[in-house]
Amino acid sequence: MHDSDHNAAAAANETRLAARPRLEAARVLNQVDFWRGYALIAIFINHIPGIVYEQFTHRTFGLSDSAELFVFLAGFSLRYLADSKNEALVGPRLFMRLEARAFTLYSAQILIVSLALAMMAAAALLLDTPLILQWNNAAAFFESPVPTQIGIALLTHQMGYFDVLPLYIVLMAMAPLIVWIGRVSLGLLLACSLAVWAGALYSEFNLPTWPVEGVWFFNPFAWQLQFVLGFVLSRPRGLVETVMRNGAWLRALGAVIVAGGLWLALIGWSPNPFELPEPRLFFMNDKTFLAPLRIIHMLGLAMLIAGLFVVAMRWRGFIHLARPLCLLGRNSLHVFCAGSLLSLAGQLARFALPTGLVTDTIVLLTGVAVMLAVAWGNEWRINLSR
Amino acid sequence: MAHKSFALIICLCGLVLAGGPAATQDGALQQSLPPMALDAQLVPIMPALPSQAAALGLQCSVPQSTVAREAPLTITAARIEAGKRVRVLAIGSSSTWSNKPSAYPSRLEKMLENVWKGVDVEIVNRGVSGEIASGSARRLINEAAILRPQLVLWQLGTNDAVARVPIVDFETTVRATVRMLHKNGIDVVLVGLQYTPKYARDDHWFAVRGSLDRIASEENLLYVRRDRAMEFLAQTRSVADISPDDEFSLTDLGFPCMAEHIAQAMVANIFLRRNGDRRGAPAAPPTR
Repeated sequence: MHDSDHNAAAAANETRLAARPRLEAARVLNQVDFWRGYALIAIFINHIPGIVYEQFTHRTFGLSDSAELFVFLAGFSLRYLADSKNEALVGPRLFMRLEARAFTLYSAQILIVSLALAMMAAAALLLDTPLILQWNNAAAFFESPVPTQIGIALLTHQMGYFDVLPLYIVLMAMAPLIVWIGRVSLGLLLACSLAVWAGALYSEFNLPTWPVEGVWFFNPFAWQLQFVLGFVLSRPRGLVETVMRNGAWLRALGAVIVAGGLWLALIGWSPNPFELPEPRLFFMNDKTFLAPLRIIHMLGLAMLIAGLFVVAMRWRGFIHLARPLCLLGRNSLHVFCAGSLLSLAGQLARFALPTGLVTDTIVLLTGVAVMLAVAWGNEWRINLSR
Repeated sequence: MAHKSFALIICLCGLVLAGGPAATQDGALQQSLPPMALDAQLVPIMPALPSQAAALGLQCSVPQSTVAREAPLTITAARIEAGKRVRVLAIGSSSTWSNKPSAYPSRLEKMLENVWKGVDVEIVNRGVSGEIASGSARRLINEAAILRPQLVLWQLGTNDAVARVPIVDFETTVRATVRMLHKNGIDVVLVGLQYTPKYARDDHWFAVRGSLDRIASEENLLYVRRDRAMEFLAQTRSVADISPDDEFSLTDLGFPCMAEHIAQAMVANIFLRRNGDRRGAPAAPPTR
């Protein structure tokens, strides 16, 4: 069962790779798209601070959140894309393909940031509330546009909640190197990645932001590890197959880690960073530097859920959940961009409308509906251009 | 590749953009304000301070009792007395953002260095505009553990009011964070809400303001009441020829004066303590 699932996923990605129409592949459901779809909705919700539904995303029940899941799955998919059996990318083709992808991500980032600024400006005028111009680190743009416009182009000015794609762009730009080292040896790749991550945590080094003084919210030197872990644990003989094969004890280990995370989250425990030994970042629960606690929790979660999709698919009703989530996951960049703007629209709506469960529910349902429409529209376009 | 769904996104934004009224064109109004004559009721900013400090700017003059709820800054005061470098971590929401020379952290640094002669003041800015308190809190604790400042300048409240964060959650987060910092030997200065005449009629804004008042008094914190200072300025300025409906430029008014108000509050509290000592009054109690 899991093999067919995997072949299907591979087929889907190979089709994408060859830029052929993916009409048939698009209909095949697989767990990578499924969890990606979930992560996209969770990111949409988590980026609307204060919304009631925030407490129902897995962030509330553990030490890592949807950002880890998203970057992990991005690494997972990179392996599908680069090492597909039929048409493995090599040499200049590999390089150009991945760099072109990085450029697409960059274009998307520039587009959503400029639209977000326009939305905030429009809302500030419409609602006559200049405070909106301060949200999400946008103040710099409105008060000091000359350096800030340069910062936006250089990715050194990052608006709050619009700081995920800059990380992804850097990771994708580095992807040819990751694939190349991975082909030499996955062990070597993991060792290099761990060394860079540990170096960043030890030296507390991060990229600076400009013109706003600060550092990148997602430190690329630390977060590359999450991406590489996804890449290494992807097929062949990746995490899913290993867990399916060695089933019980790996899944049990995952369950113990996740249960531990749940317990710590519920009692509100977090290590006191002042009382920790040096180098502190190894023991803190720090998101910017992707602390070990977060990685362990994410891996535990992956061990627990790997392959569950296949099991759940045996239950008939599950298809009604799987179909829309996979649709979102298959069109993740488009949905991510739409989701980012919808989160901002949600923030604005929650400000403009009366506070309460009704508003929050409208925001959630509208957001998810538009994300689905964007994904559906994108596939429709692909099918039309066949 | 992405045309169709980006078009969808653009349509979505179009919905938000549609019907937007014409922009107010008076963004630069406040820069051209004539300096307001010093009101007889205004207390001179800091009579005990060297002349540089008095140059805080007449435009920003607000009575000390309006600007801040007073509390001692024991850790910082001890550093200043020892002539050692003072490191300040500026964190929080809007307008903590820029590193250009005219922005508030740089100006605050210069003002404090002018007043505390011979003391090197270093302000590390980790502001993210528009962040709510719970978002800042964890970052703040982690940054403080790494940077080990003597003082944390935490600007908060406005975005929690705007995002309708429940007051109980807001208060719990702020108290826990402040206690953690105090426990680890770091002074805390809270910098309060932004003020616009329109927003100051909002219930949640008032609730957050009330919550900050409670926290400051129960945790014994130096609290810069930015909203009161801005309100005071807005009201006195409206006499001085500002169109009352020009809310955008009234908001700007808060920014040039923010460094002044924080410096005023910080300097006054260090001096307050010293004066108290000289008079033989009991030394200020430790903050926690």
